[in-house]
Amino acid sequence: MLQIRNLYAYYGKIEALSGVSCHVNQGEIVALIGANGAGKTTLLNALCGLVQARGKVTFHGESLLSVPPEGIVARGISQVPEGRQIFAPLTVAENLALGAYLRQRRGQRHEIAADLEKVYALFPRLYERRQQAAGTLSGGEQQMLAIGRALMARPRLLLLDEPSLGLAPVIVDSIIETIVNLRRQGVTILMVEQNARTALSIADRGYVLETGRILLSGPAAELLHDRQVTRAYLGKDYKEFTEGR
Amino acid sequence: MPDWRQEIPSREELELLQLERLQSTLNRAYRQVKFYRRQFDEQQIRPNDIQELTQVARLPFTTRTDLSHNYPYGLFAVPLREVVRIQSSPGTTANPVVVGYTVSDLRFWRELTARLYRSADVGKDDIVQIILAAGLNNWARDLKDGAEHLGASVIPFANLNFAKQLMVMRDYKTSILVTTPSYARHLIDVMETMGLVAADFSLKRAILVAEPLTPAVRREIAAGLQVSISTAYGITEVLGPGLAFSCPHDDGLHFSEDHFLPEIVDPESGAPCARGLPGELVITTLSTTAFPLVRFRTGDVTSLQPGACPCGCPLIRLGDIVGRCDRIFSVGGIKIHPDQVGSAIQEILSGHTPRYRLRLGQDAGLTYLDIEIQMDEILFSDEVKCLEAISRRLRRYLRENLGIDSRVGLVEKISPGSS
Ligand SMILES: Nc1ncnc2c1ncn2[C@@H]1O[C@H](COP(=O)(O)OP(=O)(O)OP(=O)(O)O)[C@@H](O)[C@H]1O
Ligand SMILES: [Mg+2]
Repeated sequence: MLQIRNLYAYYGKIEALSGVSCHVNQGEIVALIGANGAGKTTLLNALCGLVQARGKVTFHGESLLSVPPEGIVARGISQVPEGRQIFAPLTVAENLALGAYLRQRRGQRHEIAADLEKVYALFPRLYERRQQAAGTLSGGEQQMLAIGRALMARPRLLLLDEPSLGLAPVIVDSIIETIVNLRRQGVTILMVEQNARTALSIADRGYVLETGRILLSGPAAELLHDRQVTRAYLGKDYKEFTEGR
Repeated sequence: MPDWRQEIPSREELELLQLERLQSTLNRAYRQVKFYRRQFDEQQIRPNDIQELTQVARLPFTTRTDLSHNYPYGLFAVPLREVVRIQSSPGTTANPVVVGYTVSDLRFWRELTARLYRSADVGKDDIVQIILAAGLNNWARDLKDGAEHLGASVIPFANLNFAKQLMVMRDYKTSILVTTPSYARHLIDVMETMGLVAADFSLKRAILVAEPLTPAVRREIAAGLQVSISTAYGITEVLGPGLAFSCPHDDGLHFSEDHFLPEIVDPESGAPCARGLPGELVITTLSTTAFPLVRFRTGDVTSLQPGACPCGCPLIRLGDIVGRCDRIFSVGGIKIHPDQVGSAIQEILSGHTPRYRLRLGQDAGLTYLDIEIQMDEILFSDEVKCLEAISRRLRRYLRENLGIDSRVGLVEKISPGSS
């Protein structure tokens, strides 16, 4: 579905990704894990045309890199950005409507209404608070809103950036459950997480990113039990992993 | 048979998978192994300069000498505490070869070896008996692990003589025999002396490993044991069986490209050979974590066969191993370098090196190393009894250190030919 070859990304002169190759197959949950500053967010942003990048990226065989951000959404890729980035003064319902902005222009009113129902069914709390200003939602509710908004674009591929960040464990569990449910409904998921254990426990495969390069990849179950990964990315003694020899 | 579409995606997807794994292997090797970093830096090459599979040809080679120089742990890419198995074999240089495995390395090796069995149509209902020489211990263990992983019933190698092995084979109703071509021939020989025939056994298939298999020997074993034949290729010192394996179509061995990248190069110049032409097999590991190898020169001369295999397995096929491009040779599947024998002789003779000649001998199917040592003044000055002791000590030394059988003759003048 998504194939990435030799992806480089830059912030001015700073090279944040140095030749990343990876892929996501239809129907998979793929986890991208790595320490702070490894380039995880940059990779998602590069896919969405939000940072300057070069390399070869194809989605269903079509090249993505020259496509502007709206075009990416139109092709079926939605991102749930890091830190949620919802529109605080707008209501929950208005935020969700914004997610379907492109579809609205195409006049898919009925489908949009049906999808709104689905999002509310997925997150009943959002329904209860549909008229409330998004800025007044709790962190967990804001995360639900961010995911709900992305789903309103009817993505084939959902990019999730740190969905568990700053959330209480119970809320994390329910977000994780939602992600598993979404996959069951046919949404493919590329998920960035610092919380490696959580991400790998639901993913099919994983990639370990380190200073803009992929250092390890494999079935999630294997990475989960890989002592290098657990040491390095569950924040214990990170140095041991890199000790030179 | 494995469901190849499940196991290996299309050719295009396979190539992306290889590229991904190659790049992460190079990143790890460069970052965590001083030897590779130095090698890459000398050539002024960075891991991310490799953007396509064919560009692997820009990377420096790794040789058996490099392994020896970095003995024992120099090429490990993970801290020792992540290593759960340290495997050593005599190797073909002054130092043994030491390979480390992490938990996930072992898991993927078992899966790879299980795939070798599945390709040979071995399943849970089979009884697999492994008969290999002590010098092939590492192979024996990997082949046991792989068959167990598959769920077959395994009779691992036990230190029994051949007659007892045959009784086990008959009484336990072994269906799959795993051994070397030499041992298989010897078993047929022993069967005859015991008055046993193939019909006394329940054998379906022989998986013959560790040595090249000539068509004549293959026919002889198939007829003698009344079995189908499968083969597998591996490198004892570094990897294990499961590197390449035969299929029902039986035209070349499928190379496990999803975990290893093969190249064929000109042994002299090191330049890549055109597809289909013979040359030296060079291997880069794609999945191992503890002991990554970048462009390891195997010394085996073979080719990569173009074209899809009718069996449906998309993995590229390795042709026959037609020879070696170094002086290493195999004694019943155990690889040795002539210099190892030279230093053994020197050691036994307290530093003296007479002229000697090495040949392979055969006795009832079993391969041994035939060593002729030419008498000279220093040797002659010893008592004849002492000479017998020399021969005995040399034989024992070679068995204990290299795991090979040998016969030693002291002659007036060694017969013409190479030494
Ligand atoms: N706008 C920017 N300008 C300059 N450098 C940036 C910018 N955004 C990110 N970077 C740098 O690029 C590198 C990768 O950052 P990125 O946000 O992708 O990391 P990350 O893996 O998502 O980390 P985290 O887990 O902290 O979110 C970092 O070194 C970061 O400082
Ligand atoms: Mg980030």
